[in-house]
Amino acid sequence: MSTTAPADQPADGLFPVGRPTPLGEYLRELWARRDYIVRVPLADLRSQNAHTLLGGIWLVLNPLLQVGVYFLVFGVIMPIDRGVDSYLVFLTLGVFAFHYSQRVISDGARSVVSSMGLIRTLRFPRATLPLSNSVGQAVAFGPVFAVLLVVVLAHGNTPTVRWLFLPVLFGLQTLFSLGASLLAARFNHLYRDLENLLPFVFRLLFYVSGVLYSVDHYVDDALLRGLFALNPMYVYVTAWRWVMVGGPATAVEGLAAVAWALVTLVVGFAMFRAGENTYGRTG
Amino acid sequence: MTDVALRCAGAEVTYTIRSHRPLIRDLLRGHRPAAQKIHALRGVTFDVHVGESVGVVGPNGSGKTTMLQATTGLLPVSAGEIRVRSVPAFLGVQAVLRNQLTGRRNIEIGLLAQGLDWAAVEDLLPSVVEFTGLGDAIDMRMETYSSGMRARLHFAVATATSPEILLIDEALAVGDRAFREKSAQRLDEHRANAGTVLLVSHNLAEIRRSCERVIWLQAGLVMADGPTDEVLVAYEAS
Repeated sequence: MSTTAPADQPADGLFPVGRPTPLGEYLRELWARRDYIVRVPLADLRSQNAHTLLGGIWLVLNPLLQVGVYFLVFGVIMPIDRGVDSYLVFLTLGVFAFHYSQRVISDGARSVVSSMGLIRTLRFPRATLPLSNSVGQAVAFGPVFAVLLVVVLAHGNTPTVRWLFLPVLFGLQTLFSLGASLLAARFNHLYRDLENLLPFVFRLLFYVSGVLYSVDHYVDDALLRGLFALNPMYVYVTAWRWVMVGGPATAVEGLAAVAWALVTLVVGFAMFRAGENTYGRTG
Repeated sequence: MTDVALRCAGAEVTYTIRSHRPLIRDLLRGHRPAAQKIHALRGVTFDVHVGESVGVVGPNGSGKTTMLQATTGLLPVSAGEIRVRSVPAFLGVQAVLRNQLTGRRNIEIGLLAQGLDWAAVEDLLPSVVEFTGLGDAIDMRMETYSSGMRARLHFAVATATSPEILLIDEALAVGDRAFREKSAQRLDEHRANAGTVLLVSHNLAEIRRSCERVIWLQAGLVMADGPTDEVLVAYEAS
């Protein structure tokens, strides 16, 4: 195992343990762990559904069933599909996009506290844990995206130039979600209350992010619309619709998508690293 | 004398344990959960040299595990200093292994967790599989393993990559007799390659077999530090 000796090594070749790692070295250590960060979550995806009959199919089935339930309730039983062309496509885009960030953040929040044993025995940059969770969720989004494509295309939508924005959008949303999961992992380690709170935070966000209904249709006021841009989940859900099926969006949402990604990632990473030496300690 | 691998100079570790984390209830009423300040290490001084194998003995709660954790930097020293040639690593990968995955896949994960890249994992994999002696069971899910089989896998993975300074906290007495011999051999190899070992154990026979020197800790202090036979005789008499 390589433990890089620092440059300022004194004559006896010894250096003190437990001192904080400088940022550059920390990032290098993370990079050196890239094979772990990619391969272990893949193995986890395989193991997750080990005791099910459908196995990996659940990765797709779960969001699909969610769409099914919402479509039954809000598309059929008590329709709120006003101002929306194809409610099923609208709903699928919203639910899948929302679900992705929710998984990254809520699983990321547990990534440190569920690996205490590992943290106590092996030395590694702890950001490895939320990072590898994020990579795993991004990979798991692959089949989900395939289903999304089928739904979108089956409803007569054709690919447009805007689809070129897909990788950018997915990248930005991933960076935002990773940043938020770093933040969540730190504070969930501090107080496990966060884990209990998160489902309700997401439930609330779900209803105010226009996943089920067109915010555009209900909210005319430009100022009020601007307030919605303060909600990152609304921003990314709206951006997905704009990219895939030409839903309404403005430059405000575009800028917000970039800003939320960068700010959350930087703040999340800094906050997580500030707690680096506390992870694994009790008391 | 060979080079120093690890130097503890008056190392002290204190921490506070509480009956529970303060709850909102406590904060509002101004209560403080019952707290106890633990002086786990009270000034421990010793050098370990490259290639040395040192046993650490002492009753429960004497600070053995704390000392090992402090040498990795996980627990901060409140006074004194611990300096190392390279950061010591625990022998232990149990924490990362997944029951629902096959033994082979668990070996891959365990090696990655110890900081190897994929190319190195692929290189090492056949020899680790062979060392476990698990045969065809290596491609079965780990949850189907007996505890002995599991222990073999753990040990094989944990010792496949040897850190320069290896910390072992009661992990050797695993598997059947044949496997135990293989394990002891592997540790000998590690030392032959100038590896340094700190072994915490209550199994004195094991310490006699693997260590030439013993540190006896008692209530956070070094009671004795010297050749295995001398120290263990005194320890057993206590």
